[in-house]
Amino acid sequence: MSETATATHATGAVEELKKRPYVVVFVILAVVTLVELNVYSLGLPHLEAIVILVILATVKASLVVAYYMHLRYEPRWLALIPLAGLALVAVLVAALTATVAH
Amino acid sequence: MAHPESVGEGEEEHHGSPWPVIIAVGMGVAYVGIVSGSIPLLLAGVVIFAGGIGGWIHQDLQRPSSPFYGLAAAVESRFPRVSARKLGMWLMLATEIMFFSAIIGASWTLRLRTATIGLPTFQGPWATPNQILNVPLTGANTFILICSSLTMVEALAAIERGDQSKLRLFLLATLLLGITFLSIQAFEYQHLFFGEGLTFTHAPAGSGVNPLYGPTFYAQTGVHGSHVTAGVLAMAYVTRKAFKGGFTKENHEAVELAGLYWHFVDVVWIFLFTIVYLI
Repeated sequence: MSETATATHATGAVEELKKRPYVVVFVILAVVTLVELNVYSLGLPHLEAIVILVILATVKASLVVAYYMHLRYEPRWLALIPLAGLALVAVLVAALTATVAH
Repeated sequence: MAHPESVGEGEEEHHGSPWPVIIAVGMGVAYVGIVSGSIPLLLAGVVIFAGGIGGWIHQDLQRPSSPFYGLAAAVESRFPRVSARKLGMWLMLATEIMFFSAIIGASWTLRLRTATIGLPTFQGPWATPNQILNVPLTGANTFILICSSLTMVEALAAIERGDQSKLRLFLLATLLLGITFLSIQAFEYQHLFFGEGLTFTHAPAGSGVNPLYGPTFYAQTGVHGSHVTAGVLAMAYVTRKAFKGGFTKENHEAVELAGLYWHFVDVVWIFLFTIVYLI
């Protein structure tokens, strides 16, 4: 690796970078989007289709956050920040559900 | 033309920027304008804000990315391996999660409530997928946004290898894909608003769709579209700086931070597309 020879500590970092599966993630995202667009053609009941769509969206979002936003490669504690936002979202959803049920 | 490595005086200069303060003042004035219902005050705040952003970008483009906030900041930070700037970006993204959740949650509540109860004016079912919205077109737009996320992350990977030409190529591609997304959304809005008659107060005539469908649709996708617009502006700045040779293998944190924001906007769209268009 002549390009890494000049950098003092870059060899390990560059090797690590090469392993990052950006294109694989992209292909998965594109395929899942195609599946999403065709969920209704499966003829599933409406509620089941919704559950599948929400799961697929969550899978896509998790892939983007983990690989494209590098959260997988960051120190673990950094994930607490978006999780704190999501915790408040959970409270909001619970409150809204209670309101609607009422 | 490549810039030389940043030297000591560049760092000194970096500390003295007045523009963030001016941006904050502009936001404050605009906020007072919104709260007090004063359009002139709101416009004055927006002008100060935009001037501050422009001034800051202009100042920053004059010099290469400073190492002060790069690796050095990560070492000096109280938190391991995360620079203060990246921490700040993630904190802002956490607030954005809550912001979008509030908009989506409010829309979802209206949808669930008005299907059964509520004022007679706001009764009526929600539109089914494909009834009003062009789902295949927006599906294609979703694909464009996914492509832009790939080009963005490849741009960062390029500068991490020190590859300037790939950095420029991928940033330019990201910028163009972002503009394409916005253009298609503008076309969609134009068609829905003037063609279909889906307005802020009315559903398309004769469709029987709930009149709240329009405002919730425009609120959710509009707020997202404005975020894409901000992302495109950030991308234009980063791309311009890349073409001036402002980033190096060691100092390129602005590319990473702009990328974080860009991917976040993509994540929001993944959920919005499902919630607004598919369900």
